[in-house]
Formats: sequence, C-alpha cells, structure tokens
Amino acid sequence: MADGDTLNDPERRDFLTKATTAVGVAGAAAACWPFVSSMNPSVDVLTKATTEADLSGIAAGEVRTVSWQGKPVFIMRRTEQQIAAMQASKGGFDPEDDQKRVQQPQWLVVVGLCTHLGCVPTRGDSGWLCPCHGSVYDDSGRVTRGPAPKNLEVPPYQFVAADKIVIG
Amino acid sequence: MKAPWKAMGLLLLSVVTIPAWATEIRLEKIRVSADLSALERGAETVVTMCLGCHGLKYMKYRDLGKLGIAQDKVDALRAGQALDAPLLSQMPADVALQSFGIVPPDLSLIAKARAGGASYVYSFLLGFHVNAQGIPDNRVFPGTKMPDILGVSSADDAQRAELQGRALDAASFLAWVADPRAEERRNMGKYVIAYLVVLTVLLYLVKRRVWARLK
Amino acid sequence: MLNKTIAWIDQRFPLTSFVKHELTEYPTPRNLSYWWNFGFLAGFVLVLQIATGIFLAMHYKADINLAFDSIQHIMREVNYGWLLRYLHSTGASAFFVVIYVHMARTLYYGSYRAPRELLWWTGQMLLLLLMASAFMGYLLPWGQMSYWGAQVITNLFRATPFIGDQVVIWLRGDFAVGDATLTRFFALHYLFPFLILGAVVIHLVALHTVKSSNPSGINLAAKDNIPFHPYFTAKDFFGLGVYLIVFCVFVFFLPDTFIEPANNIPANPMQTPPHIVPEWYFLPFYAILRAIPDMFGGVVAMALSILIFAVMPFIDRSNIPGGARYRPVYRIMFYAFIADVLVLGYVGAQPPTGFAVPLGQVATFIYFAMFLLLPFISKKEEQWLRARGLPPALQELFEQRSPRQKWNNGEGGK
Repeated sequence: MADGDTLNDPERRDFLTKATTAVGVAGAAAACWPFVSSMNPSVDVLTKATTEADLSGIAAGEVRTVSWQGKPVFIMRRTEQQIAAMQASKGGFDPEDDQKRVQQPQWLVVVGLCTHLGCVPTRGDSGWLCPCHGSVYDDSGRVTRGPAPKNLEVPPYQFVAADKIVIG
Repeated sequence: MKAPWKAMGLLLLSVVTIPAWATEIRLEKIRVSADLSALERGAETVVTMCLGCHGLKYMKYRDLGKLGIAQDKVDALRAGQALDAPLLSQMPADVALQSFGIVPPDLSLIAKARAGGASYVYSFLLGFHVNAQGIPDNRVFPGTKMPDILGVSSADDAQRAELQGRALDAASFLAWVADPRAEERRNMGKYVIAYLVVLTVLLYLVKRRVWARLK
Repeated sequence: MLNKTIAWIDQRFPLTSFVKHELTEYPTPRNLSYWWNFGFLAGFVLVLQIATGIFLAMHYKADINLAFDSIQHIMREVNYGWLLRYLHSTGASAFFVVIYVHMARTLYYGSYRAPRELLWWTGQMLLLLLMASAFMGYLLPWGQMSYWGAQVITNLFRATPFIGDQVVIWLRGDFAVGDATLTRFFALHYLFPFLILGAVVIHLVALHTVKSSNPSGINLAAKDNIPFHPYFTAKDFFGLGVYLIVFCVFVFFLPDTFIEPANNIPANPMQTPPHIVPEWYFLPFYAILRAIPDMFGGVVAMALSILIFAVMPFIDRSNIPGGARYRPVYRIMFYAFIADVLVLGYVGAQPPTGFAVPLGQVATFIYFAMFLLLPFISKKEEQWLRARGLPPALQELFEQRSPRQKWNNGEGGK
C-alpha cells in the first residue's frame, strides 16, 4: 500500500490540483443556477401583470375589489367630503400627501394587503381596519394606527378611458 | 483486441440508423431557416392561412414579439385579441368534425410529431396532387382530409417555385414554434461543452500526476 | 476551526474513521481499468435524475387533462424548464447505457462469481427497480407512445394465472390506462428512486465486504492494492468529465433523439399509433416477449430473460478464475451474447412482420441457449485449457491447495 499518499497532505496540494478543483467547483455552482431559477415565477406568471378594471357602476363612497396578480386591489370612488378630508391631512405614521397617491382625486386605487403581514383589511364606515392585528388605514389608504409600518401600496395604473383603468 | 470492438461498433451503428431509413415516404429534405425575415413570413403565412382550421395553442401572440417580429406586425396578426391570448383555431371543434370528419390537429408540435420533422411539414404542404381517380390527395399523407391550401396541385412551374418558398418559410416557422428555445439551448451548449472540455483536460492531467506517484 | 468541529463530531459519530475506512484508505486493486468507472457514473446519473426530477415535479401536473400541457409549460415558460426536462429525458437513457456497460463489465470479467454473488444479486435488484421507475416515468408525459406503451405492458399482467384480469384492473385502477393510472405512476415514480438509493447503499455494503474484483479475475495480494483516494477519486472524476461531455452533446444539441415523435401528440385512447415502440433500453426484452406466439409464454420468457442473470454464479462452473481474460471460449460466448442482444434490440424496434419474426425467434433461442450451455462449456473449456497448459499466473493458483478462490480481494497469493 503506497504510504500516506493523499491529497490531504497540504504540501502535495499543487497548483494543478488547486486549479482543477476551483474550475470544477465553479462549474458545479453554475450548474445549480438553473435549478434555483426554475423556482422563480415562470414567463406566463410574469406576463399576467396587467388587469383591466371597469370603473362604471361604482357609486360615490363605494369600494370595489378586483384581482391583480393574484392580489386584491381596492378601487374606491371618493365623495367630495372624503377627498377634502384626505387632502387636509397628511396621514399617520407614514406621512404622504393624498394628491401624491391618486391620479384623479375621486378615484383611490390601492393594493388591499396590510403592509404588516399581508392580511386583507376590511372596509369600515371610513377607512379600513385590518382584522389580524388591528392596523387602521384612512380613506387614502394611509396607515393611521399600527402595527403596519407603511401606507397601502399604490399599484401602477393608467386610465385608458374615463371609466376604465389598466392596473400593472 | 480491436476487431470485436469494430464489429460491435458497426452493429450498434446499424441498429441506430435503421429506424431512420424505415420510413417509406420519400421526403424532400430541407434546412430550416433561422433567418428572422423567413420566420416572419412563415408566421404570417401560418397565421393567415392555417389558423382558420388549425390551432397553435401553446403559442401566445406575445411570443411572436419575442421571436423578433415587430410590434405593429404582431398587432396586425392578432387583430384585437389580447397579447396573452393563445393562437387558437378559428374553427370550433364540432364544426370541424362536421366538415372534415376529423378535428384538424394542433400545429404547435407538428414539426416534432412526425418522423422527418420540418422536412415532413414542407413535403406535406407541397405534396398535394390530384390522383388517378381525379380525387385531391397528398403524396406524403395519402387519405388526408386537408384541402390543398397552397394550391400546389394546380400550380405551374413559376408558381410552384414561389410556393416552395412559402412552404419553406411556413415549415421554418412551425419548427420554431415546436422548439422556441432551440437557439438559446444551442448557445448555452457551446459554452457548456467548452467548459467541460477544459475541465476534463485538467482532470486528466490531475489523474496522470496522481497515478505517476505509483512505483 | 474546522478541525475542532470535526474532532467534536468524531467523539460522537464515526465520521472521520468511516470516511477513512470506506473511502480514503479503502483498498482497491491497482489494475482496475476504466470499465470500473461505470458504478460511480451510475451513482452520479441517479443523483442528477433525482435532482432534475424533483424540480420538474414542482411544475408537472399528474392529471390526464393537464399532464401534456404542463410539460409544454415546463418546456416553454418555466425558467430553464427545457433544460430540466432534457436533462431528465436524456438522463434516463444515459442511466441505462451506464448500467448495461456496468453489467457487461461484470459478465466479461466474471465479477459475479464467488464471493460476489450477493453483490450481483443486489445489482439485479437495482436493475429491476430502475426498469420499473423508467416504465412508470414514461407514462407521465401522457403522449401517444406513453399511453399505448403503458396500455400494452400493463395488459401483459393478464397472463397471471386465474386472477389475470383483476390484476390488470388493480394495477391500472381503471379498466384502461387512465387518470388513476397516471396519478399512481407519478406517486410511485417519485418514490422508486429513493428505494434505488437505499438499494445502492446495500449494494455498496456488499461491495465493501468482498472488495472489487479486477481485470485478471485473480485476487491480488494485499500489497497490490492502493488507496481509493486519490487514485480512484481522480480517475472517477476524469471519467465523469468524459461522460458529461458526451451527455451534454445530447442534452444541448440532440435532445429529441430519445423522444419518440409520436409522444409529441397528446394521448388518444381511441387511436393507436401505427407503430408502438418501447424506449430503446427495453427493446431486447420486448423482442423476446413477441418471439413466443403464446401470450403467457411470451410474458414468462420476457421475465425469465431478465431474471436468469441471477443464476450466473452457479452456471459458470469453470475453476479458471475470473472471466474472459484467461478463457477464450467464454470470451467468444460473451461477444456472441452481446451481438445477440443487439440483434434482439433491432428486432424489438421492427413491426412484428416479415423476416423480423424468425430472426427474433432465433435470437431468443440463442439468448437462452447461452445460459443453458454455459455449465457444460465452462467445464469443457477448463479441461481444454488445463490440457493445453495454463499461463504462469494461473499455474501458481492451482498449485495452492484450494484453487477455487473463496478469498476476498487483498487476501490472494503473494
């Protein structure tokens, strides 16, 4: 039996072996990428990015919920009083102007997922209340009571007609 | 002991190639075009002439854009349908059954589903003729219910040349539809093989050096 | 830091001693040729199949209405889905190439002989598990060939005496191959590779008990062994590199070689494709099945053609050690057997008409005749060789008191 002739012997670990090991390990690591990437959303999921929402038939003060990318989106037609009230305040923990959160003041479009842990807030007389941990949002979707840290997300959307928007 | 290896190699080769020459139909061998303009023309031909009866259900209009076809051309082809809509047949299945007695097969994989691949599609499109009984038929698939969509059986020589071009474009497009990631795959393959050759050479050198320690 | 951790583990778990004994310092005959690389390669292919299979299973849908579409989804829309799929489909064929070469090596060099009978039989168990996994996996794409291949092969169980019909229905979960069949084949196809993994461990335990044979067939003296690491780790990795090059040429440039065109058509229970063909690795056995005109006889012959390998340690009665190296008649039989299997493979791919039928029957006859004749031929050959005069290496062996080697490798002569 050849004596103690192993690659574990540091002095024998020559450059060729080191280089080969490095090349091999690099290849093995690169080979892992397709497996990891295959778990990311596939092409068809990524293109399901836009949803058309019809605004007709929503009465003043009413909220309609639509689905976008599998998430609920609140579309609210705000009354004059609600608009005025929202424009007058800056919100709560996450101060933001109401005008920055809407494209047309009477239409509020926000993602209906609480920014705390993702539950869907329920509509109250005014604003929303999240049943999971009690976060409160105003009629601009801004958080006024925690534990939610941020205002409800405003998704990208655009008006393609007076009564139609495309979200995403 | 070289002779047995040669014999085995020959035997193996013959076994592998025999299925390839088992098809009795003579196909015209074509080289599928990877040229974008050919694929564009092919897409146009297929969408305007084939979608009337056939579907391409695994293709979406958005994918035509990914092929490289300009957005306005894609919009013209989809004629108001959503970008994410699949290219479905315009003829409902029950109507097709009534008219033809068979539902025309979906063409998404046709270039892979026939022995001979794209050459089969090409030869089939050009294989229409009027047989001895005066009935329209196809040389490649006798008894087909499909009509002579390109008008091959009544074409003169000049027209036939043009039809050959259209059939080649259509077959090339359908080959792409059956395997849209082919180019990406081959590209990646070049790098992978190159890397493996380098690594294997290094591994061989390491092996030699290790074994040199013996004796 | 690392050394301290390992020392901590070593006090509680035989990590270092196990790795040293079974891998690093494990004694291996120094004269092993590259034909001995294929066991390691089989292990690699198994791991790759399991990895690609699990990631494919994240997107595959085992429902007859969704299965075919889910494969197209994987091929067209899942990131690198096409790569996972082609790795898996090519890997299945690669697995059989590697295993058949591995088996051929064992037959050629007589590595199935005492004391390696259990090693041979655990290998046979692995082959059966692999064949079952491959058969079930082939149904999953739900193409025309998938469906009709499964329909035909599950039909064979009708040959079971008395309860044949019930067995077939029980297997399928339905009167014909259907959704119930697909779902259970998916469940079992996911399971079997892990059974294979366990059986591989048993196979390796058997191997490490008797140690590897070697090309000469004569057990070497202890001094002629070398540690597995670095010699055979280096050699195995180099072999792996060569294998990966060939493998990747198929995956990236010839990926549809092993996918039947008819399998690109969704399964249609109302219409059989004109030419049903199993995957290439089943062709010889398929030919044997069809060679016998009687259904029950065909099934028995096919089963026997796989199981008969088990008797190899007993029917090889020569006292000349090893396999073909010192036994020219055995060598000819080996090559003839390989040629016969190739002919059977060709016959299996043909429609059962014309000259293919008698060719298949002759080839089947020869196949079994080889096994039946080996006991006599091996004994006759030994007599002939001894009368002729044995080479020195063998001569010494026979001068020892017990010529029949019962010793493990490393316990041989001087």
